[in-house]
Amino acid sequence: MQDFEYLMPTNLDQAIGLLKKYENKAALIAGGTDVMVKIGKTRKAPDVLISLRRLSALRYIKKNGGYHIGALTTHRMLEQSTLVQSELSALHDAASQVGSVQIRNVGTLGGNICNAAPSADTAGPLLVLDATAVLEGPLGRRRVPLKEFFTGTYRTVRKPDEVLVEMEIPEDLGRYGSAYWKHTRRKAMELPLIGIAVALKLSQDNSQILDSRIALTVAAPTPIRAYPAEDFLKGKVIADDVLKEAGRIASSADCCTIRTSLRCEAWYREEIVRVFVPRMAKLAAERVKNR
Amino acid sequence: MSDYLYVGKDIPRTIEADKVCGRAIYINDLKRPGMLHGKILYSRYAHARIKRIDTSKAKKLQGVRAVLTGYDLPDVRVGFIKDQTVLKKDVVRQFRDEVAAVAAISLEIAEEALHLIDVDYEELPAVFDPREAMKEGAPLVHEVDARGKPVRSNILPLPWKFQAGDPEKGRRESAYVVKDDVRTTWVNQGCMGTSGCIAEFDMNKNLTLYSQTNVPFLGKQRIQEYLSRLGLGKSNVRVLNPVVGGSFGTKLDTDIYEFIAIQLALQTGKPVKILFTREEEFFALPPRQPALFNIEQGCDREGNLTFREVKAILDNGAYTSWGATTPSVMMMPISSLYRVPNVRFDATCVYTNNIYAQAMRGYGNPQATFAVETSMDRLAEEAGIDPAELRLINCNRPGEETPMRLKITTCPLEACIKTVREKIRWGEKRGKRNGRGVGMASLIHVAGGARVYKSDGHGIIVKVDQNGRVDVLESGTDQGQGSPTVISQMVAEALGFKPDDVSITLGDTSLCLWDAGTHASRHTFMAGNAAIQACRSIKRQILEMAVEFIPQIVTYAIKKKKQKDPNFREPDLDWKLVASPEAMDIKDRYIFPQKAPDHPYFRTEVSEILTRGLHVGTGQSRVVIAEAFYDPPTEMLDREMKGNYSMTYAFGTTAVEVEVDKETGEIKIVQVFAAHDVGRAMNPTLVKGQIYGAAYTGAGYGLTEEIQVRNGRVMNANFRDYKMLTAKDVIPVEPIIIEVPDESGPFGAKGIGEPGLVPTAPAIANAVYDAVGVRISDLPITPEKILSALRKKDVC
Repeated sequence: MQDFEYLMPTNLDQAIGLLKKYENKAALIAGGTDVMVKIGKTRKAPDVLISLRRLSALRYIKKNGGYHIGALTTHRMLEQSTLVQSELSALHDAASQVGSVQIRNVGTLGGNICNAAPSADTAGPLLVLDATAVLEGPLGRRRVPLKEFFTGTYRTVRKPDEVLVEMEIPEDLGRYGSAYWKHTRRKAMELPLIGIAVALKLSQDNSQILDSRIALTVAAPTPIRAYPAEDFLKGKVIADDVLKEAGRIASSADCCTIRTSLRCEAWYREEIVRVFVPRMAKLAAERVKNR
Repeated sequence: MSDYLYVGKDIPRTIEADKVCGRAIYINDLKRPGMLHGKILYSRYAHARIKRIDTSKAKKLQGVRAVLTGYDLPDVRVGFIKDQTVLKKDVVRQFRDEVAAVAAISLEIAEEALHLIDVDYEELPAVFDPREAMKEGAPLVHEVDARGKPVRSNILPLPWKFQAGDPEKGRRESAYVVKDDVRTTWVNQGCMGTSGCIAEFDMNKNLTLYSQTNVPFLGKQRIQEYLSRLGLGKSNVRVLNPVVGGSFGTKLDTDIYEFIAIQLALQTGKPVKILFTREEEFFALPPRQPALFNIEQGCDREGNLTFREVKAILDNGAYTSWGATTPSVMMMPISSLYRVPNVRFDATCVYTNNIYAQAMRGYGNPQATFAVETSMDRLAEEAGIDPAELRLINCNRPGEETPMRLKITTCPLEACIKTVREKIRWGEKRGKRNGRGVGMASLIHVAGGARVYKSDGHGIIVKVDQNGRVDVLESGTDQGQGSPTVISQMVAEALGFKPDDVSITLGDTSLCLWDAGTHASRHTFMAGNAAIQACRSIKRQILEMAVEFIPQIVTYAIKKKKQKDPNFREPDLDWKLVASPEAMDIKDRYIFPQKAPDHPYFRTEVSEILTRGLHVGTGQSRVVIAEAFYDPPTEMLDREMKGNYSMTYAFGTTAVEVEVDKETGEIKIVQVFAAHDVGRAMNPTLVKGQIYGAAYTGAGYGLTEEIQVRNGRVMNANFRDYKMLTAKDVIPVEPIIIEVPDESGPFGAKGIGEPGLVPTAPAIANAVYDAVGVRISDLPITPEKILSALRKKDVC
């Protein structure tokens, strides 16, 4: 049956205490845009749902010694933040395209990351922004780089008694620009057919790529970084043929394991990676120049 | 400009404020005392033998009041050609086959009970491609026909064969001939409200069915027949509409779930509600009929069409609903869109183990027009003629009779084509092949009823009370199109009252007269014509009373004034001004002499007269009521499938500009101009609403919408994976209303419910070709198809 107990702790300690108490009988719920859909679909619910809704202390976007985004921050808050828009552009691109306004009003960043869908919109941008997940459990806090966070489809390193507290992004983004492309068939209420996030660090004259990070969603069982394509770009002078080659590498089996699904065939997904890695790289570069 | 006070005006839809405020009572909201909830168990196979059904566990679940299977019900067949039973036994033929049904005290318990029903199946070979199904030796979907006679083929005994002129001769005389294969697919009507009903019997086995149907009277007839076959021939049936959240064709047939609710209500003696989930709405409700076309047409050196020949294969699915009759409408654009003297059209409906199809906005017309209009562009290219020019050369004209014997009355098609051509700056934009392109397509559709049943009639009852409030008992239905507003405008206009005076009651078989159904874009046309007739009688009744009472009122008033003011001089009144009904008129609730509209003594508010007519103090009191039944003098299709089945036809042309991303195949619609012949717009805002909505749905049909059916199973039964366009996918549609009032229409109106959808997809396809030089004749036009075609083209 779909009956469950619904608990609403008001602080982090209470939440962790409840997780410890109910162990594997409990699950966390934040915005509920994934959890409730899953319960409805499978007609199965955990015995206890522990809601993080009242943990308003975890709803924040701060910049001090790096960027700190609380796990309970909604997509709508990210969308409406000028700081996110100007300095963490890829994350802004992603957050503002999740579902619809109603969904963005409740869906949270932490929920999107912990649900760990291969299509998670914010995962790609956070990967290219080199984010670190901060988890807290009965044994205290620990920090896990996001690139090591996902262990499989809908699986992460988070232990059952841990709560994701915030995402940390290193401060030094001065010469970086980032962009995210969500490839869809319409403009709202969509999951990406494929997602492409790119962050570039350019030289002072904007001609040379000093650092590059490329992340892909729906291109593997988890959101991934396309390291060979990143390595190819590092140190290169930015030019059409260079970016095109990066797109080719990113779409190849060296970087991803793209599959055919009902939503889209593999060849077309590969094509979109090939086309949009260069397009997003150009947009990211453009954003460096405009900062 | 007309001197109408209310028709033609943008009267807001305030009648429906309850919908906006969440007060309207949809089937979801409706509860009856003691009501149970019904759920349906569907097949797990596309084709299988039922070896065993065990319902014992489900029956034992607390709160369950009935569990039914096909083995519990008499063998009564239902449907258009009676090829299915309500619950299926022995064999299932599609995934949506209803195998068992449960009624319980709550929805949750009913759902739980479904999981406790055990069904053992033995899978049978199935067939999913209609072309395969036509072949000899293909698995038979039905082994016997409705009469129990063995059948040898999956082809339906429903041949559609039409011929006019001599297509072979036409072909010989052609300078240019083109041929194409075209495919259209299943699409869901996407109603905001999901399907549902409540069936309730009283102790005498009289049935009230709260149903969303658009055909309350035909529905009642079908249910009455069904009950007779169950041995309940004495039952009376009342069909009532709650507020309906969209139809778009879904509510033209009486659906199986309605019969199931009736059976559960009979079994339990309680009202039973069945309400579909969104998933059921996608897999258990018949979508738009898919079709495969082979189209060939030609023209002479001057571009005059010489012949058109179309063969269609329709995947009928496992049973037959109205999808199988869509060729009756396909025939209209195939024979009559543009002037083509020699036409042949054959359509074959074939049983498969897929889901079966029904009606959707346009009813066969969008499918056929996609074939005809993409072929027109191909022909234009072959002949070296501008596609707009080719259409103008062959443009339909007022007063002509088409090869199907449709009698064209008003026809501003030429104006439609020229208007959109100019608006989109055709000459300047066409033929660039630079990733941006323009395309157009036109349409013809019934706009004055459609005689698909032997009665295309429509009844109305109008009554006016002593306060001058008007009640209209209207036999059509409102599924959200705004009919109540338009009807109140037309009634107010015809009576000389105000739209606010008019209350409309719709969708009740006990209160209203027969209507063939709110389909075929016919409601405004039919209701308006009936209303004008009824209102003429009402007006006469009121004016006859006025002849009697105005002199009394005026004489009494003068007497009073004299008493108050001895110096008052009695005016010299011309009593002839109010001596006969013909001498007077009513406007804006005032009765007045035609020769002196502002007459200081004779101008009288209607309620004064109406009150006097009722409260007379003798045995002579009167009520004001009139009924009218309008059945247009149209023809059924004859044996050759010819006949003028509508009083008038609507035309229109849509021009689209697209931008195609050659690297991704993505299409952006830059602008859409949709010029439509509406006769006279009764309410321009509502007309535009119909055009916007239809053009949007047409764009979805062209670009994104497709029910993905794999081996008979619907794979994308939700709005996440079924890509209906959203409010964010703004398509800049500019509706253009072309007004040439039609004599047969009420105040000159033609129907406009469906037309906007019809030419959208082919106009997009033609624009894509203009932009990047690839023709996609397989809907929807996905980026994948464009990219594949572009690559093939590059290789060649």
